[in-house]
Amino acid sequence: MNGNNRSRLLLVTLLVTSLFLITLDLRGVSVTQSSRSATQSFLAPIQRGVSDFFSPVGNFFSNVKNFGKTKAELNQVKKQNEALKKEVVLNSDIKGQLDQLKGALDLAARGGFKVVAARVIGHGSASTFSQTITLDVGSTSGIRKDQTVISESGLVGVVKEVTSSSAIVLLMSDPTFRVGVRIARSQGMGVLIGQGGKRYLVQLLDSSGKFQVGDALLTLGSDGFKPFVSGIPVGKIISVNSTTASLTQEADVSAYSNLGELGVVTVIVGNLSSDPHNALVPTPAPTRTVYVTSTGAPPVDTATLTPSPSPSLTSAPKKKATK
Amino acid sequence: MSWLRALTSALFLFFVFTIQEGAIARINFPITGFSFFLAVLVALMALEEKSGAVVMGFIGGIILDLSPTTNSPFGQWALVLTVVGYLIATNTESVGDFSARPGAFVLFVAFGVTITLTLYLLVGTLVGENAGTIGRNTVVVLGNFMWTLLFTPIFLPSLLRVRQATLTSRERS
Repeated sequence: MNGNNRSRLLLVTLLVTSLFLITLDLRGVSVTQSSRSATQSFLAPIQRGVSDFFSPVGNFFSNVKNFGKTKAELNQVKKQNEALKKEVVLNSDIKGQLDQLKGALDLAARGGFKVVAARVIGHGSASTFSQTITLDVGSTSGIRKDQTVISESGLVGVVKEVTSSSAIVLLMSDPTFRVGVRIARSQGMGVLIGQGGKRYLVQLLDSSGKFQVGDALLTLGSDGFKPFVSGIPVGKIISVNSTTASLTQEADVSAYSNLGELGVVTVIVGNLSSDPHNALVPTPAPTRTVYVTSTGAPPVDTATLTPSPSPSLTSAPKKKATK
Repeated sequence: MSWLRALTSALFLFFVFTIQEGAIARINFPITGFSFFLAVLVALMALEEKSGAVVMGFIGGIILDLSPTTNSPFGQWALVLTVVGYLIATNTESVGDFSARPGAFVLFVAFGVTITLTLYLLVGTLVGENAGTIGRNTVVVLGNFMWTLLFTPIFLPSLLRVRQATLTSRERS
């Protein structure tokens, strides 16, 4: 048998072996699933160790891309930097994670959920097209498959795989991701579908229902809270696609959670209270108008103050001082 | 390819896979991620003879199938990379020796990764996998091509040295 024939025979043998493995997996043989779980158990401690080193440089590229966006933003960052210098010297990475954790715990507390906080120790591999994150908590911390994962702003995804010390979360941006949602305004029901990017598609189930731009979407919830707890903010409608061809209305959605910058998330392991209904719908920060009137000769200013998270100060043109 | 060489290749590829899943996956690249593992595997397959490339593709595929983040059926990567290994080995025979033309080698690796990902999507479609929109997948594939083109020149010299060190004296000659 010459070299060419031998390599062809080898090729056929390996292709048949691959097809055999695919068939086994599609028929639900547990060996293939347990081998992936074993790999995850092996990788989790490494990911956890490397995470500490890579955490500050993980967002390097996105930081470079957004650098110098506008002068106003730069000025704001400079002001924030000045303020930060006056604060206790704290590692900015840890501080960011604490803020995310605080926000996520706050959201969970408002919904009355029992949660387990987790650090994101890995993002989905570039070798696959699925969009996932890996968490540093697993079954020993009470994490189970099909539990809801939230961030400080809303829904993140659902637990897909669990090992003793780590969990893999299928992000809501994954094309295979589907979640039942309801419109906070009208209680109309629909299905939100991941599109692989920052935009999502939502389809109404009721043909007579209507979307409005700005409508907040919340999770519909599942039986026994698995895989989805009800009332979690998902996103808001940014544009309505009116096509006569479709039976029900479709709309583009922008998610509340920024899936690209997840540092700390929480996994809902239990629901302490009843359905939070619309209690978790994010509300815009109120605008307070403050009139400042000077008593002496200096000019009189009228300023509008908008509180955090995006503070801005707009001053009216200065009037001439009257002496 | 000898059993010993297949074993050392498997161990080395698993080490690369650990770097990919543990470290590279932690970096948020713009556009899309970079698959260090695929780039290394394609480069190694391009340096093997035909049966060696096929075996290495199969081993690499099995290792990628072990990835807990993948949604595809176990064996899909093995199938795709075995085919890619054969295609690469067939083409490198016609192209000749790459060692004198590093630029061409880098380009070959980048195209190899692109073809691999495209083939993976096609096979995924055949087995009924939902991999998202065509537009998004095109961005992912082209983004990977771009990153592979940029990063391969950085690790390629080290990879060639490691490979040279693992060869037996018989294989060197």
